[in-house]
Amino acid sequence: MYISDFNYLRPRHLQEAIDILDKSPDGILLAGGTDLLVEIKKGLRKPKEIISLTQVKELKEITSDNNNLYIGAGATHNEIINSQIVNKFYPVIALACSKIGSEQVRNSATIGGNLCTGASCCDSAPVLIAVGASVEVHNATDVKTIPLKDFFVFNKLTVLKKNEIVTRVIVPLPKSGTGTHYEKLGLREAASISVVSVAVKIESDGVKCINASVIIGAVAPTPRISEKATNAITGKNIKDILNNTEILEQAGQGASDDSIPISDIRGGAQYRRDILKVLTKRAIIQAIQSITK
Amino acid sequence: MKRLINLNVNGVDYEVAVKTGATLLNTLRDELKLTGTKKNCELGDCGACTIILDGKAVNSCIILAIEADGKKILTIEGLAKGEELHPIQQAFIEKGAIQCGYCTPGMIMRTKAFLDEYPDATIEETKKVLSGNLCRCTGYTKIIEAVDTAKDYIKGKERKKIEFHSQKSAVNLSVVGKRFPKIDSPDKSTGRALFTDDITLPNMIYGKLLLSPVAHANIKSIDTSAALKLPGVKAILTGDDVPDVTWGTSPARYDEYILAKKKVRFVGDVVAAVAAVDEETCYKAIELIKVEYEELPAVFDPFEAMKDGAPRLFDDKYENNINTHVDHHFGDIEKGFAEADHIREERFAGNRTYQNPMEPHCSIAEWDRHGRVTLYTATQVVHYVHHQLSRILDLPLGNIRVIMTNCGGGFGCKAATNTIEIMSIFLAKETGCPVKMRFNREEMYLFGRGRHKQYIDLKIGVKKDGTITAVKQKAVLEGGAYSSFGIVSTYYAGSMLPTLYKFDNFKYDGYRVNTNLPPCGAFRGHGCPHPRFAFESLLSMIADDIGMDHVEIRLKNAMTPEYHTCNDLDIHSCEFKACIEEVRKKSGWDKKKGKLPKGRGIGIGCGGFVSGAGYPIYRSKFPHSNAMIKVEEDGSKAVLFIGDADIGQGSDTVLAMAACEAMGISLDRIAVVSADSDLTPIGFGAYSSRVTLMGGNASKMAGEEVKKQIFSSASELMKIDADKLDAKENKVFVKEHPETFIKWEEAAFNFFSKRGPLLGKGHYSPPEGLGGTYKGAAVGTSPAYSFSATVCEVEVDMETGKVKVLNFWDAHDCGTAINPMLAEGQAEGAVLMGMSEVLFENEIFDNKGKMLNADLHNYLIATSADVPDIHSTLVDSFEPEGPYGAKEIGEGATLPILGALANAITDAIGARIFELPVTPEKVMEAIRNNT
Repeated sequence: MYISDFNYLRPRHLQEAIDILDKSPDGILLAGGTDLLVEIKKGLRKPKEIISLTQVKELKEITSDNNNLYIGAGATHNEIINSQIVNKFYPVIALACSKIGSEQVRNSATIGGNLCTGASCCDSAPVLIAVGASVEVHNATDVKTIPLKDFFVFNKLTVLKKNEIVTRVIVPLPKSGTGTHYEKLGLREAASISVVSVAVKIESDGVKCINASVIIGAVAPTPRISEKATNAITGKNIKDILNNTEILEQAGQGASDDSIPISDIRGGAQYRRDILKVLTKRAIIQAIQSITK
Repeated sequence: MKRLINLNVNGVDYEVAVKTGATLLNTLRDELKLTGTKKNCELGDCGACTIILDGKAVNSCIILAIEADGKKILTIEGLAKGEELHPIQQAFIEKGAIQCGYCTPGMIMRTKAFLDEYPDATIEETKKVLSGNLCRCTGYTKIIEAVDTAKDYIKGKERKKIEFHSQKSAVNLSVVGKRFPKIDSPDKSTGRALFTDDITLPNMIYGKLLLSPVAHANIKSIDTSAALKLPGVKAILTGDDVPDVTWGTSPARYDEYILAKKKVRFVGDVVAAVAAVDEETCYKAIELIKVEYEELPAVFDPFEAMKDGAPRLFDDKYENNINTHVDHHFGDIEKGFAEADHIREERFAGNRTYQNPMEPHCSIAEWDRHGRVTLYTATQVVHYVHHQLSRILDLPLGNIRVIMTNCGGGFGCKAATNTIEIMSIFLAKETGCPVKMRFNREEMYLFGRGRHKQYIDLKIGVKKDGTITAVKQKAVLEGGAYSSFGIVSTYYAGSMLPTLYKFDNFKYDGYRVNTNLPPCGAFRGHGCPHPRFAFESLLSMIADDIGMDHVEIRLKNAMTPEYHTCNDLDIHSCEFKACIEEVRKKSGWDKKKGKLPKGRGIGIGCGGFVSGAGYPIYRSKFPHSNAMIKVEEDGSKAVLFIGDADIGQGSDTVLAMAACEAMGISLDRIAVVSADSDLTPIGFGAYSSRVTLMGGNASKMAGEEVKKQIFSSASELMKIDADKLDAKENKVFVKEHPETFIKWEEAAFNFFSKRGPLLGKGHYSPPEGLGGTYKGAAVGTSPAYSFSATVCEVEVDMETGKVKVLNFWDAHDCGTAINPMLAEGQAEGAVLMGMSEVLFENEIFDNKGKMLNADLHNYLIATSADVPDIHSTLVDSFEPEGPYGAKEIGEGATLPILGALANAITDAIGARIFELPVTPEKVMEAIRNNT
């Protein structure tokens, strides 16, 4: 277990990082390193050039304006968990970030890194997709935003191109009457990978669920929108969702139907489908209960 | 090319040249020589390397040194101010939160960063925050207590008084029975304690092993030429370069070669060894060695392996891959079942688990100019390593010195010689340099020697009143590729069943079967936990069948003192019933059993173990434990030299306490030198829970010999007959007139001045003739047996199957606890390890025999966030054969847990799970099948 020497570059500013990346034939971006360095140590990657983003201050910022919450890609999970701005608008994002790894990992690992690793069991993505987040992506000539729902291609694969940097996550501010929740099943209480996860967002006009989003994690090659679960609750009366078990059952079943899980060391495919139903129902109930007046 | 970076570490500015690939952990340890920060998983999963970087706790193993350029770092070495310990360190020491000490620096640094930020943290927050720091010894309970105490100390609050009632047998003793902190804990809390990997010798190089990537194959050729050309490579050895000698653990089954000779038998079998200037070069050289394998059919399932025509691991032995077969019959099994009113038979299966001590195996070998070998190693058993090396190297014991450094936990995986102990010596001989070898976590799993997975068919017959009339057991142990401790494991799987409950008719068929997987060996409770899980489960099922309470059926059959079992084992002291009654009362059993809501459950399980094996692993007449005490010429300190190994369980402290009690001095007047074959007389080491009783007796005897000489000296000074004197608390006094005394050291000084060195020696051998005369009768014999009972309460999520353990109430008959705080620490550690094995642990292999979860990321062990409330009690007991009445607790305390937890889960969900581990998936399946 070792890390071979590589060419190391440490830009101080975003533009410098973008320029270096553009010119580097096989440079790999290093953020918190909690995934990348593990992969290198296991011999899965052998980078010749590493471009460290840890000194790029722009990537650390967490801000908001009238429309959006902006989370710098270089913000660590603990910085997000402890951010007043994040907790003001989206405590559910802090909740999802708190489910990742250990305290030590959350002190190093960044949200940008978590997303760009592209794991299907990624804890931050389902919530962010549910609340309609996008990532801002820079290259030497261009800036674009990619809705996070379109970001993931396959397990450990994203749409990101070689010369692109994710600079921040843009989250539209919640409308009033929005409720969200994140549920996850890990095999032990802490520091465990999701067997199944689900994020739910519900927008209510006070009576009805006028808009919803149910995102399922660790049950497909990417975090995935469950159309069926989403449709099962959209347009329904909030009270009915809570009291009419049939709607919840439909939502749970819908999430399960939309999943394409595999069997692995953490659980069988059928178990994942079964548990997804349960977690989806729970997340919907919790999301409704979290709706702020 | 290296780069210069600036680090401020513990307030000191360093300018260091580092490679770009160097981790911060390696830079701290190798460049700055700050070895207090420990290297364990290397992948950010365990927290052993936790440091504080710019105020944040981080894993230094997955941070590049270059990324820390210009930053402020605090390591464990920077916490104490000179001799003044930090309040967190103080609390860890006082509360018994330190056992092996390998996780301790990381745990303390994590706590420091946490309490800096949250000085008023709650217990629940503490459990959550510490969950990234794995500990395998303590069960986290005392660590959580220590963090809570540290909060008070930081705020300047006074030490809280502990309410503690002495056991009756310890009331009149002055050292034994007291809750003293471990004598090595100050060193372990400050990072000063040296583990093997912390040692660097001049001109030292490094070694690594090339392991087989295939499960079963003939080696056609090995080409080392490209690897040898790599700059920095010093030597490469293959099977052709090492003696044609087999080695192992039990003499009847020495079946491993030092390096594979023409054949590999599992993914992880040792093919070649490389020595080079650093580990990185070793790894690169290994990648350059070309091995041509001719793959053979492999077999991974023991039942498949036993079939005629199955692939054979050994052509010349172990027909049908049956490595060991035990066929025991005591009493009359037919008659026993004929007498039964109710008979039930069920099949159970255990899981393949690994000890996972926090410290990876590490050895440093020196082959010096005079042909004398020195080995520093993290081992439980210096003597057995010494003995095995003598065989392999064909050298007398006197030409080899084996030194145990601090050992960061073992639980059985360091209880015999290992490959790097052997290969570091061969590489040192080949290169003329000291060679350090170290397993990484994956290599630890592949070297293996973990728990055998057992498949158990168990049949029990009872009368209407619950009296057991007959027990029939068949166990198939999946053994992996080599024997290791396996013969003993197979015998233990049967022999310990009759020691807990009384029954006269017992039949046991045991099979240990070789498979193309890593070898299994001895793991805490050696061979017994799975049979005990099966027995405790079936006993509760039978109780339900006949309408009897689970506690009552146990009391009905419970072992009592001075009993001769059907398989010729002799039980002496036994307070088993008191243990059962205690947990029944404390848990509120009578109010809870059968009355808890669905999803909530309570269960009881029991167990016990030997206090040391009655016979050694190889035939020898040597006493099992031996001690020497040398008193300094001024009488200010006694030094205890003992061969037995403190692997974190605290034996140095316990044995010192026994010696102090015997000599009449206080614990601050003793120092311990242990487990160094040159300095200490042989001790068989830390296995089979033998050290407290055997090492304790040897230390006590040595202490008594010193005391006798102290009395003769004092008698001259006090002008009174020696037999009228007694010694306690550093005073020698007249028994009838305690106010008439001289200082102990005065008597010692006088002795030395007139007669030269004041020395004592002691030794212990188990009573002769233990056990029966049948084949295998030796396994299960012991001078004394421990007993434990545990009640467990759980809450199960009926929709996901996730189990949350709420409480363990455990009671133990360990005789007199020499140090009750350390005994509790053993019990708490055993409870959590047992719980972890039941709920989380299992080695998983693909269909080619490659282990899929050989790291701490995917092989889950319990964290602090999983810790239930553990309520341990030590019942009053006295074992005449033990020192001051002491017996074992370390392994016996594990045994009740599996059954107690399984029974509690059954109570909660209304269905039983017969195979470990009890995963949420299996729980859901059981619930589904039950409805």
